[in-house]
Amino acid sequence: MTPTLRGRARSKTSKTSPTSPTSSASPKAVARRVAGHVARGLAMIWVVATISFVIIREIPGDPVKGQYESLIQKGMSPEQAERATAVLYGFLPTGSLWEQYTGYINSLLHLDLGRSLSTPGVEVTTLIGSAARWTVLPVLAGTLLSFLLGVIMGVYAAIKRSGRLGDVLALSGSLLHGVPVYVIGLLLTAIFATLWPIMPSGGPVDVEHVPGLNPGYLGSLAHHAVLPVVTYTLASYGGWILAMKSNVVAVLGDDFILAAELRGLKRGIVFRYIARNAILPLFTVLALSIGMLFGGSIFIEQIFNYPGLGLLLVGSISSRDYALMGGTFLVITIGIVVANIVADLLYTAIDPRVRSGGAA
Amino acid sequence: MSIMTNAQETTDPRSAPGGTPGVTRATLRRNFWRGVWRVLRRKPSRMVGVVIVAGFAVMGVAGPLLYPDHLPRDDDALYAPPSLRHPFGTDFEGTDVLALVITGARYVLLTGLATAVITVALGTLIGLFAGFRRGRWDTVLMRVTDVNLAIPGLPLLLVLSTVWKFESPLEMGLVLGLLGWGGIARAVRSQTLSLRERGFIEAARGLGLPTTHIIGRELLPSMAPYIAMNMLIAVTGAVYAQVGLFFLGVLPFESNNWGVMLNLAVFNGGALTTAAALPYLMAPLLAILLLTLGIVLIVDAMDEIFNPRLREE
Repeated sequence: MTPTLRGRARSKTSKTSPTSPTSSASPKAVARRVAGHVARGLAMIWVVATISFVIIREIPGDPVKGQYESLIQKGMSPEQAERATAVLYGFLPTGSLWEQYTGYINSLLHLDLGRSLSTPGVEVTTLIGSAARWTVLPVLAGTLLSFLLGVIMGVYAAIKRSGRLGDVLALSGSLLHGVPVYVIGLLLTAIFATLWPIMPSGGPVDVEHVPGLNPGYLGSLAHHAVLPVVTYTLASYGGWILAMKSNVVAVLGDDFILAAELRGLKRGIVFRYIARNAILPLFTVLALSIGMLFGGSIFIEQIFNYPGLGLLLVGSISSRDYALMGGTFLVITIGIVVANIVADLLYTAIDPRVRSGGAA
Repeated sequence: MSIMTNAQETTDPRSAPGGTPGVTRATLRRNFWRGVWRVLRRKPSRMVGVVIVAGFAVMGVAGPLLYPDHLPRDDDALYAPPSLRHPFGTDFEGTDVLALVITGARYVLLTGLATAVITVALGTLIGLFAGFRRGRWDTVLMRVTDVNLAIPGLPLLLVLSTVWKFESPLEMGLVLGLLGWGGIARAVRSQTLSLRERGFIEAARGLGLPTTHIIGRELLPSMAPYIAMNMLIAVTGAVYAQVGLFFLGVLPFESNNWGVMLNLAVFNGGALTTAAALPYLMAPLLAILLLTLGIVLIVDAMDEIFNPRLREE
């Protein structure tokens, strides 16, 4: 019974006072909400850490033990070899499963993800840190662009849903939403880098430029970022246009739109009523979309040879650098968890209706 | 949702509550098929979707039977340009690309089917259970669903590929299904929650009908179209993930499929830098595009048939 009751109560408050701050919009409620999210996020990170621990342990051939034994063969004492392996993977090669697990979690708590095997001696956190910016910036740019495009096109698709234009828009949205991101990326590269070479085919920047704030370097950066960002944009544009369209269609049937029309308000104002109410639920989709784009970055970076987290993850698997693999996987998860929390806070800040109580 | 259906009920006299004594099941069914026909006729493009998906199904079933086990190679025609004999050219060994696409379809489609069945079965069961029982079970199951939704699927698949080689399409489908049921579970739960408060379910409960009857005969049929649409969408998700894994080259190439073709075209054939291998790259891309288009068109048509508010005002 509770969910329906809560739903009814919420819609009632929204109708009586859509904008006035309700009594329950206290900082306390918001703090409780955030605490719930952080707790769930931490649980999520713990699940993923456990998964990567189990996988690193279960990899055929046991790389951890193999490393330990090869170090002993090279003439290290068992204690030295043990310590050297622990530095790499974050847990001791010997001992029970439970000891290894607590060791692994313990080093994670100290923000130690181990060391890379393929780039010897470098800490995994350093590698991830330098890769992250190549992923985060294009993902953010792509998300913003596709959000803007999708929302605007979504309103048109909803209003013109019986016409040719609406059909084409909705179909393009569904198609782009369903088509794998690597299909988009490969098609774009084939067209704009191979057949009609106006874009560079790979890499983040031309090598001849000196890194720094000079126009040549920045221009080359931007030039190389065009195709990846367009791919990110097209990959998530479909989701936005579909979501916005269905929200607008739902809002169009609401009484307050009819009332606004009957009162003879200008089209522009009615349009604003529609858009404002339809756009709100999209902020919950925002989190999912960012998660999807992080997943998509694996393909996009592979296609455009862009040195971000996705390329790091695939590279670590093919070079059997398992500490790096586990670390990258964990950091991608953390990125998604953080994006989730931010999107939810944004939603809370924008929509007065969600601010009631501490119910998630 | 409920607001919209109420609105529809008041505008559509046939489905008005209490006004249906003369309408039998047979006429309802006839009306339904008339609606299907109307939607298909209004936009003939929807028929194209059915044709495309049927074509791929035939390709998956009969495709490998059309060709010998080992496709013929032509050593004189490596990366041959498209011609009448080889509509999409040849690959690095001189094998006909079209034949590769056709024979590779079975693996892709079988995985898609397995994934869709498992995703839908798991998602529907969990969603129904959570929505119908509510209370503690609901809370626990929805927490699990949240985790399932939030785990980055593709990175997890990549990491899993180090310990699991996904040897058969069914195995791959099982893993993809276990990773992908969250969305359907949540949607089915919310539908169940809203449906169980509606009059016909309350009436069924008031009549003392058993729970299996309420779920199987009353709840599920009203959700069936929705579940069917999700099943089709799950196929596109499965194609995305498994072709992607092969494309990245993290799985051993046991048999020919579209992902293997993409990988070889891009990373061995240099299709992104030279135009010679481009047809080899384009053929599987077009196949994926067409399959997605077909599924999207069918889902679109189903959406319009079962979701009256999407029809014109």
